[in-house]
Amino acid sequence: MNRTLVRILLILIAVAAVALPAFAGDYPLQVARNIMLYMALAISWDMLLRSGQISFGIAGLFGIGAYAAILGVVRAGMPTWLSIPFAAVFAALVAFLIGFVILRLRAMYFSIVTLALGEIFRIIVHNLHDFTGGPEGVVMQQGVMFGGNASKLYWLVLAGLLVAIAASYWFEKSRIHFALTAIRNNEISAKSSGVDIFRWLLLAFVVTSAIQGMLGGIFVMSYGFAAPDVVFSADFTLLPLAMALLGGVYSTRGPIFGAILLGLVAEWLKLKIPYGHLVVYGIMIIIVILFMPQGLKNLLKPAAKRAEGRSA
Amino acid sequence: MKRMMLVLAVLVLFAGSAFAQGTTKLEGTIKLGGIWTLADITGKQGSAAAQLAVDEINAAGGVLGKKLELIVVDDEGKADKAAAAVEKLATVDKVDVFVGGMASGAELGKIPAFKKYGKVVMSTGAAGSATVEKALGPSPESDFYFHLHPWDYNQGASYAEGWDAIQKKYPQIQIKKIFLAYEEGAFGKSSWDATKVLFGSDKRYTIDGASFKSALLGGGDYTAVLEAAKAFKPDLFIWAGYDADALPMLEQAKAMKFSPGIYLGAPPGWPIGFGSSKLARNVMLYGMWSPAINDINPVSAKFYKNYIAKYREEPATYFAPLAYSAVYIVAEGIKAAGTTETGPLVKALEQTKYVSPLGEVITFKPSNIIKHQGITRQKILQWQNGIQEVIWPFETATAEPVYPFPAWK
Repeated sequence: MNRTLVRILLILIAVAAVALPAFAGDYPLQVARNIMLYMALAISWDMLLRSGQISFGIAGLFGIGAYAAILGVVRAGMPTWLSIPFAAVFAALVAFLIGFVILRLRAMYFSIVTLALGEIFRIIVHNLHDFTGGPEGVVMQQGVMFGGNASKLYWLVLAGLLVAIAASYWFEKSRIHFALTAIRNNEISAKSSGVDIFRWLLLAFVVTSAIQGMLGGIFVMSYGFAAPDVVFSADFTLLPLAMALLGGVYSTRGPIFGAILLGLVAEWLKLKIPYGHLVVYGIMIIIVILFMPQGLKNLLKPAAKRAEGRSA
Repeated sequence: MKRMMLVLAVLVLFAGSAFAQGTTKLEGTIKLGGIWTLADITGKQGSAAAQLAVDEINAAGGVLGKKLELIVVDDEGKADKAAAAVEKLATVDKVDVFVGGMASGAELGKIPAFKKYGKVVMSTGAAGSATVEKALGPSPESDFYFHLHPWDYNQGASYAEGWDAIQKKYPQIQIKKIFLAYEEGAFGKSSWDATKVLFGSDKRYTIDGASFKSALLGGGDYTAVLEAAKAFKPDLFIWAGYDADALPMLEQAKAMKFSPGIYLGAPPGWPIGFGSSKLARNVMLYGMWSPAINDINPVSAKFYKNYIAKYREEPATYFAPLAYSAVYIVAEGIKAAGTTETGPLVKALEQTKYVSPLGEVITFKPSNIIKHQGITRQKILQWQNGIQEVIWPFETATAEPVYPFPAWK
């Protein structure tokens, strides 16, 4: 009964998400786009985290995808719709190549290298002035995708989010889950059980990078420009990370709840406290991480179990 | 799972109430939607000055028998937040006109939404012509957009004009070698590109430059760039960065005993209290306004007096009088047009001749791409005894230049 109810609720949520443009104005749609973009990034970050590898390279791969998409359109005359899968493939290819080197690293060494990679990508883009537009960036003369139609842009970001959710569930429900969990828990045991550690890590890194690159492509097609300070912004690393931590890591649901909560609260605070909302928002994130390190998902889990026990 | 669904439902209800209500709205007002980066001094003081202008206009009877209402939303300096701000102001608050703006990156996020709604925009920032002006596109698609702040190439051209005029009037000031230290972002890079073209193209000046990471963006060590500048021995040393760089760069220049003939800073705003530092003595700067203009311009004096009376602090950036001017220009345009409808309002604004606190009469003329460019000249100023004195243009000058920049003791 409970499972059926949950399924019905999930279907209702999915229908509501798809149909939102029919009953919401352009402002809620824009806020929803922002939240869904960060949500998808948070999910992709969590997917790699399930192997125990903490990446700080989200902004780097997001930016690489953003530039691949816009340069594909502006320099190579690529159709805008094609530029988004192209961004995903390009980011995946970059991740595949660098993955051979950096996936030999573990723990903080891997984290620091991914952080540095983002900065290296940004500096490269900065310095290829004639090709990338340098620090000033590059603009799509033909304007944004779908002529800026709010509903279509919303569905575009929703599609990107669904790709991230589908990939995350694939990671959760297939044998990838066992491989990544085994690697996270104890690499030596995993290896002795026949888990090809490097292969699974490379798969996770390439898939999550492809998602991040795709989202970068969606971002630039939605706004019609890319500039290094914008698309390589640390926000694209730190906010998804905070969202996943708030919601609860090692799952798809955690980052979803974290992103909805933080995204809505950030927008609400901005409207209510225009001159001080960032301070309140920052303090809130610190408190949440200090007092709820396991995230909302795990905070609610014992309560849910108790309730189930009582009803049984 | 049920609990999670409950949490989700509560969040959806919370979102619905937050986004449906927006801010408290007054009936029968003319609404101005202000978008600035409020954590930055340019946005904080710009929005405060815009509110001051609204209060003054309302105290004088309003516009077309209605009060003006300014609704401010923070863009956080980010493209996606800026786009959401436009959507909120256009669809929830239903503003009649947009004002504000500073960073080019945030402005680029707003442009698609601005184009969608086609309401008049009185922009106070975004100097990046290579991106913002290009994204706006030519007339008539960008005719709704009135750009008050000079584009980067306008600024560069005015500096070249200014230094030529200063050298002519003051023969003791001779500039042959110019060094530009520029922050590595879009602002600094566009300054460097403009400097190379405007000062280096006719070979009258020898130009060199190097980039640095601004303290605002996690940098703050200027040793390498100052060493390069010192070795170059420039007559004019310019740094293009942010307010956070002003004092630490001077401290490091002092430690290295680097004292060029002219030491000039070109940040969008200066730190509050910079003038009271001993290091600030005779530092030159580019800008649009200073309190010294109060002595020669009654509009500036009125703005300054009322701003201090209302906010108990001094306007530390020219974005304050610029935003103040933006509101007055819009108000006068609406009065002349008799409506806030875009077509007639654009026509009325094209006739603008606003005597601004910035020391010049603002009119709109075509720039390289768009049709409505306001100010095209910046000023060359100098910190003298804690006050920014205007050195050039001579018609608004408030003091003679002190030259050379004193050697460090």
